[in-house]
Amino acid sequence: MNDKPVFSIKDCALITRMAGLDSALNIREMRERVAVCPIECLYHHFCETVIRPTFDDPEFRNDFSIWCSTNLGEKKLAEQLGILNPYDFNNLEELRAKMMEIIDERLSELYYIPSAQIGEDFQFMRAVTVVFDTGKQIHSPDDLIRHIPFMSDSSLYYHFVEAHRRTPESTDDFTVFLKDFNHEYQPLIEEFARIDFYFLNLHELRLALKKAIESIVGAEVPGA
Amino acid sequence: MPKSLLDYEEIVGKINISILRQLAENLKGARVVHVNSTRVGGGVAEILDWLISLMNELGLEASWEVISGPPEFYFTTKTFHNALQGKPASLTKTMVEAYEETNRQTADKLRGTLEDADFVFVHDPQPAALLEYCPNRKGKWIWRCHIDASRPYRRVWKYLEEKVEKYDASIFSMPSFAQRLPHPQFIIAPSIDPLSNKNCELDPTEIRSALETYGIENSKPVLTQISRFDRFKDPIGVIQAFNMLRETIDADLILAGGGASDDPEGQMVLEEVLEAANGDRQIHILNLPGDAHRMINALQRASTIVLQKSLQEGFGLTVTEALWKEKPVIGGNVGGIRLQVHNHHTGFLVNTPEGAALRMRYLLRHPEELEYMGKTGKRFVQENFLLTRHLREYLTLMLGLRRGLANYLITE
Repeated sequence: MNDKPVFSIKDCALITRMAGLDSALNIREMRERVAVCPIECLYHHFCETVIRPTFDDPEFRNDFSIWCSTNLGEKKLAEQLGILNPYDFNNLEELRAKMMEIIDERLSELYYIPSAQIGEDFQFMRAVTVVFDTGKQIHSPDDLIRHIPFMSDSSLYYHFVEAHRRTPESTDDFTVFLKDFNHEYQPLIEEFARIDFYFLNLHELRLALKKAIESIVGAEVPGA
Repeated sequence: MPKSLLDYEEIVGKINISILRQLAENLKGARVVHVNSTRVGGGVAEILDWLISLMNELGLEASWEVISGPPEFYFTTKTFHNALQGKPASLTKTMVEAYEETNRQTADKLRGTLEDADFVFVHDPQPAALLEYCPNRKGKWIWRCHIDASRPYRRVWKYLEEKVEKYDASIFSMPSFAQRLPHPQFIIAPSIDPLSNKNCELDPTEIRSALETYGIENSKPVLTQISRFDRFKDPIGVIQAFNMLRETIDADLILAGGGASDDPEGQMVLEEVLEAANGDRQIHILNLPGDAHRMINALQRASTIVLQKSLQEGFGLTVTEALWKEKPVIGGNVGGIRLQVHNHHTGFLVNTPEGAALRMRYLLRHPEELEYMGKTGKRFVQENFLLTRHLREYLTLMLGLRRGLANYLITE
């Protein structure tokens, strides 16, 4: 019986949809909707932004901060929400609670509620993610190391970013695979763990992974 | 000649084509019908041109049907179009009859194809009533709205809403365009075909010759707006801005409109534009046929700056096209233009002819910014707004609808 671990390279595609909530025109309305929106909605606006088509590389990772900054001119709240890393929380309900706390505090400081122009209101969204097997299988850590720099953006998203929500230990799929190979790859696992992935776009994530690999193998590895 | 996926590999990379093939594996043999109101002219026809061919290459059975009717039908659907964009309009009994009769007749003709299809994509309001004349439909019906319907004229929307709420899903180009409907509403931004006549690379001689055709000098800055002759595109505002610019900088302005067979107002607006230009030899008003794609491509590439000073806009594909050609865009601060144009990065958003004049002057005085913005714009289009991303989202949507729209679907 062959029980050697196998890493199946998967990929994913995303389609966004309206969450079915009224849009928010100001912070108070945003707070009301955040309090009741489906949890997938928070996940989308915090975590799936990185894989959505855009013409911009925004200064904040989550949509709430971008909207507060760009459409309300509410820079303080934008920064306070912008520093939240959803992967630091045990679950998204905790993130929701923290958001509410921050918004409430800011509301208590304001003498007037800044409002967006009509047409610039915050639209609550969610997404459908389709995951598929690419048919490619990796049988050894060295093979995986060679493959990572050549994976598609969406595959990196799935195996490194999205995996933090999916895996029992809230880690990435590469780490889960490498852990099956005794302690030999522990330094690489530690390098991966050091990547502050939430605040990177996928291009930056690819570079960070490549750099982590290079620091362990001690040489430049091919790939973007 | 239709392009194949292999042709796009060089531009978008092998891996993106491979993703399409893997997604499509789960949709092999699915019968997909698209219905719109014109085969030539306008962004929808351009999208369907490549979408059908690539879906077929991926193993789906895709086809394209067109609804056509008498002048009253087009008058009514143009009214719908304007009303969806917020223009007040009255809907008479005769107009409703013309609209419904054309839809009924088209349904009679296409019933077999439509009712047997696994997926029917009905584009914009023109064919939206087809669904109610196909009671034995088997597949999923999706209404694809390409128009900025964020603030529709309510009385007309109320009528259309009754037609579209019966669909299984709808698609809008931007979240803010969506209307509340009792079914899932998806967001798919449109895209451009980098290999089409309108967007492919051109030889410099072809670009020069396009300018010569219209007696435009190559030595002066060329400012161009490409769009239908439509009041929402504000061609008069562009002429006003150009006149302000010329107080300090000599330049040529091209206003080129591609005709669409479903737009009866175009001629009227064209006459207004000619009157506003007042015979000025440096304002070139070109009424191009709907298939003048290479000419439009050449004019965009010959331009120093591209304008899209719309007062209301759907996604604004002409902006995407210009960015793809490394041209900064001065665009109206509306609709999808806001998504694409970022001040000092890909162009400037403006609200008035004065704003457009100010930004044109600024850019012409800062050639280094022209270059930076051109390169930035092209990079964003390459990464996100080419047709392969668009096709991927259609496939994802179909898979999602087929599997009951869970948040997370794992295919075999």
